[in-house]
Amino acid sequence: MTASSLYFVNWWTDTLIIGGLSIVTWVALLAFHHWADTQPIFWFALVLSLVVNYPHFSATVYRLYQSPDNIRQFPVTAWGLPLIMFGAVGASFWQPNVIAPYFLMLFLLWSPYHYSGQTIGLTTVYARRAGFPIGRRERVALSAFVFSAFVCGVIRFQQNGSSSGFINFYGMSVPAFPLPDWMDAAAQAVMWTGAVVFAGFAFVWCLEQKRLMPPIVLLPALTHFVWFVPGASLKSFWIVIPFFHSLQYLLIALAMQLKVRIDVVDGEHSWRRIGVEARRWGSRNILGGVLLFIGLPAAFSWLPLPLMTTAGILAAAVNIHHFFVDGVIWKLRDTATSSALMMNIAEFAGPGAVDLVRPNVVEA
Amino acid sequence: MRESATAAILAVLAGPARAAEGSPGILDPAAITPREAFLAAGIGAMIACGVTSFFLGERVTERTHAALVALVVLIGGFCLFTLFGLVGRKIPAAGSLVLLGLIGLFKLMNQFEIRRKRSLSDK
Repeated sequence: MTASSLYFVNWWTDTLIIGGLSIVTWVALLAFHHWADTQPIFWFALVLSLVVNYPHFSATVYRLYQSPDNIRQFPVTAWGLPLIMFGAVGASFWQPNVIAPYFLMLFLLWSPYHYSGQTIGLTTVYARRAGFPIGRRERVALSAFVFSAFVCGVIRFQQNGSSSGFINFYGMSVPAFPLPDWMDAAAQAVMWTGAVVFAGFAFVWCLEQKRLMPPIVLLPALTHFVWFVPGASLKSFWIVIPFFHSLQYLLIALAMQLKVRIDVVDGEHSWRRIGVEARRWGSRNILGGVLLFIGLPAAFSWLPLPLMTTAGILAAAVNIHHFFVDGVIWKLRDTATSSALMMNIAEFAGPGAVDLVRPNVVEA
Repeated sequence: MRESATAAILAVLAGPARAAEGSPGILDPAAITPREAFLAAGIGAMIACGVTSFFLGERVTERTHAALVALVVLIGGFCLFTLFGLVGRKIPAAGSLVLLGLIGLFKLMNQFEIRRKRSLSDK
């Protein structure tokens, strides 16, 4: 039996970052943002991208390439995949009207799928922390809910985000992905079935344990639902969804980085050290994000293409590369990863500091 | 449903059939379209992955071989997507099949280069 905290930081921080903030934003936009002009929110989201969204991509690259061991362990991801991405980017630059629209379409469909994977990962992490076992049956029900919500979201994004059958992405016209009318109803049926079955498993667990399930376990799935079902119809909201996805990611990635730097490398366990490591990691990732999303397009600005086209194609490539690397480095089956994901940040400050964090949950 | 399936097959075959009608027999390399050139590059990349896997042989783990195979699937899948990605505009049911195919592709890529049980040859 080991005692572990339910939260990476504490109730407030985890709840806000994992979904509370995005749900509050959705409610606020629904209540107060009635006008169609999304430009102010777009510019606000762009500024936030510099400190949250772009660094979240950089954090993945940093995590893979910071250690020669990782590169040796995943040679195809580290070397082969960038070559393939380079080829896809080259083909898109060469044929911006024939190949690039399909490359961007692939990214626009893959992105919400990737968000779904993160939702399942987060639910699994918090369930494990709460002592709620996610076995095969629970996972099937959760996946049915999450991936059907993704399909609902794709249908809504394609319908609401397109005009005359095209979606505007970085000034380029990307064809909207055509889907039959019955698909939304079918996806909703599977989604609600998955939700009911998963809620049933949670209910049985509550009866057996004679206690309520901590809401943080269900928060990632609820947040995912808000993003992809009601939120997907509100254009001003889905502009900021990537920000919230990145925020979730950065919380987990920071915990992992602290584990790698403080627990493995010799050094002091203190709040000062946590602050130093967090600032170092944060500033490097902000710089990395700027290089990926501003520096890289600037380096290709000599191409006979509009700068926005170059930037859009490169952004899609960085995203797709991120989807792969994420899948490789965050497997919960990996012991080093799963142990880091059971930590509370206070534990890195010293053995006594963990007692400051409440509530503690006994895990079997 | 049967009509939809027949229509989808006809839609797939109609393009090559028309190309064959106008073809003088041997393809003129100077006359290939950008899309055909891209498909040729895709086939070349798939061959390169296969050849790499072949020559690496037992020097790399089964996981690396599986990752190279996954790259072949990714490249092939994207080439098909550039051909039939918008087939749903003509045949809505085919659009759902394309989406299911993409979800399958994403799911497979989610298993990219992850730890696997070692095979006998890796031990």
